[in-house]
Amino acid sequence: MGKAARAGVRGLLEEIVVWEILVRLPPKALLRCRAVCRAWRSVTSTRKFLLAHHDHQPAFPLLDNGSYLDLDNDSIDICCFDHRPGLAAPDRLQSVALLNLGDDNAYSRLVASCDGLLIFFIDDYRLFICNPATREHAPLLPPPNHHWTLLAMYPHTPTGEYRLLLYPYGRNPGNEPAHACQVLSLGSGQPPRNVGWPDAISTGIMMELDPPVLFRGNLHWFPSRDDSESKMIMVFDTISELFRQMRAPVVTDCADLFEIDGKLGMAILDLETTIDIWMLQDYEKEVWIFNCRIELPVAEIRVQCDNYDDHLNLHVMVVPGDGELLVLVKFTEWLLWVGMDGKLVSRLPSKEVDATYLQLKQTLVPHTFFPTLEGYVVNAPPFT
Amino acid sequence: MATREAGKKMIMLKSPDGMEFEVEEAVAMESQTIRKMIEDDCADTAILIPNINSKILSRVIEYCNKHVPTTGATGAAASDTVAPAALAEDLKIWDAEFIKVNRATRFDLIQAASYLNIKGLLDLTSQTTIDTISDNSLEEIRSFLSTKNDYLPEEEQTIRRENQWAFQ
Repeated sequence: MGKAARAGVRGLLEEIVVWEILVRLPPKALLRCRAVCRAWRSVTSTRKFLLAHHDHQPAFPLLDNGSYLDLDNDSIDICCFDHRPGLAAPDRLQSVALLNLGDDNAYSRLVASCDGLLIFFIDDYRLFICNPATREHAPLLPPPNHHWTLLAMYPHTPTGEYRLLLYPYGRNPGNEPAHACQVLSLGSGQPPRNVGWPDAISTGIMMELDPPVLFRGNLHWFPSRDDSESKMIMVFDTISELFRQMRAPVVTDCADLFEIDGKLGMAILDLETTIDIWMLQDYEKEVWIFNCRIELPVAEIRVQCDNYDDHLNLHVMVVPGDGELLVLVKFTEWLLWVGMDGKLVSRLPSKEVDATYLQLKQTLVPHTFFPTLEGYVVNAPPFT
Repeated sequence: MATREAGKKMIMLKSPDGMEFEVEEAVAMESQTIRKMIEDDCADTAILIPNINSKILSRVIEYCNKHVPTTGATGAAASDTVAPAALAEDLKIWDAEFIKVNRATRFDLIQAASYLNIKGLLDLTSQTTIDTISDNSLEEIRSFLSTKNDYLPEEEQTIRRENQWAFQ
């Protein structure tokens, strides 16, 4: 091999190293690195790079501090639970961005998350969408003349659109049948379309569904605490836009769905201090396999939280975080993380944060619909 | 050199400096690149690994040996959703020791892990550099990675302004 060829190989290898490093940087550090040299700026600006970068970002459970806004502190802290040993801050909180909405809002709620995009509900009537990595923000205009709840935001693969699934309730003036969910395509300028309706679910429960798990192009909800007899998983096919039902592993009143390692899983939570984890072995045939049982360390939790009340009021959530399954327990004023071995790993004061069923996987990939939204801003307030 | 164990298929890996390494097929298949070669039947005899010298290749094999999923008595792969916590803890300690190498070796390992497509090794080897870049100034990043600033001062200012918040 000649000297020039060797130098060529060397340059190529250095490029590989640079790519492998940059593709793994958190978004903020990556944006900073564009000022290092021209080569870095050009490599990190291609769509191919940005897609790979998104792919390498960890997906962390989002925490919600919105309910605690008050007039003294009216910013929304977009914050994740980062559990990685050796990498996370000691309190395991990772603040991604701050949004300051002005002093007239009293209450906000994180309601949807998908491909690095977040939707917040303000004062229960206004919606906005944002990407904390690109610092884009826009209000969303919901269908008028309806009370409605946002069931999901999801990518529609055939069109590349991002869509909202809405559940309208209450009276509507046109006398059209209200028994239809609606799909709204972001940035399309089109009014929402009526789609199917999940027959077997009682209407009351539609208002209280946790965010769904998107898996194989289908949205999955388990209606916990549903009074109906069915105890089935509710599924919405984002392509055919039909609702159907799917078998749960056991008859249960309270369970969490999650996706991990390319499989759908379910945590059975109605056994007080015991959690059973089931994995869906065969999606089409709906074959569930028992995976493991986790016993919550009740005695240790009581000691750590200094609470010995007779009534043990644990609020348990099983959520995926960067490829691992996390058991998060809200107890009195603490948010506790219990390992899969049933040992208490950490606790943080939860006075100001709640765990959610949403995850954030940050992205710098441009979303084409964003600039078409009315009121779109980038790199400007409300981002601080 | 590894000895052949009953029932385990062995495979030969060759570095460009002429060294040969006999490894279990399962260990070699921790590399997605080698896995593809084996699955496509392109790996009958020995596989030549270009651009990775024997010193680096032996360390890569060491890593794969440690990280290959062990098969339990029930026949269930340990890579199932819930790995035993003690095993995971042991691996983390081992990884921390493994990565105590100088910068040149670490970059060689990143290249090797990238070419051989071994996700765990890539994550492990790139993390130190990622931390350095995340925590330091542009000048320090440039000197750490021997990268030259080829911007005109006013160009650099413009680029900084584009994402002012990232510098706060």
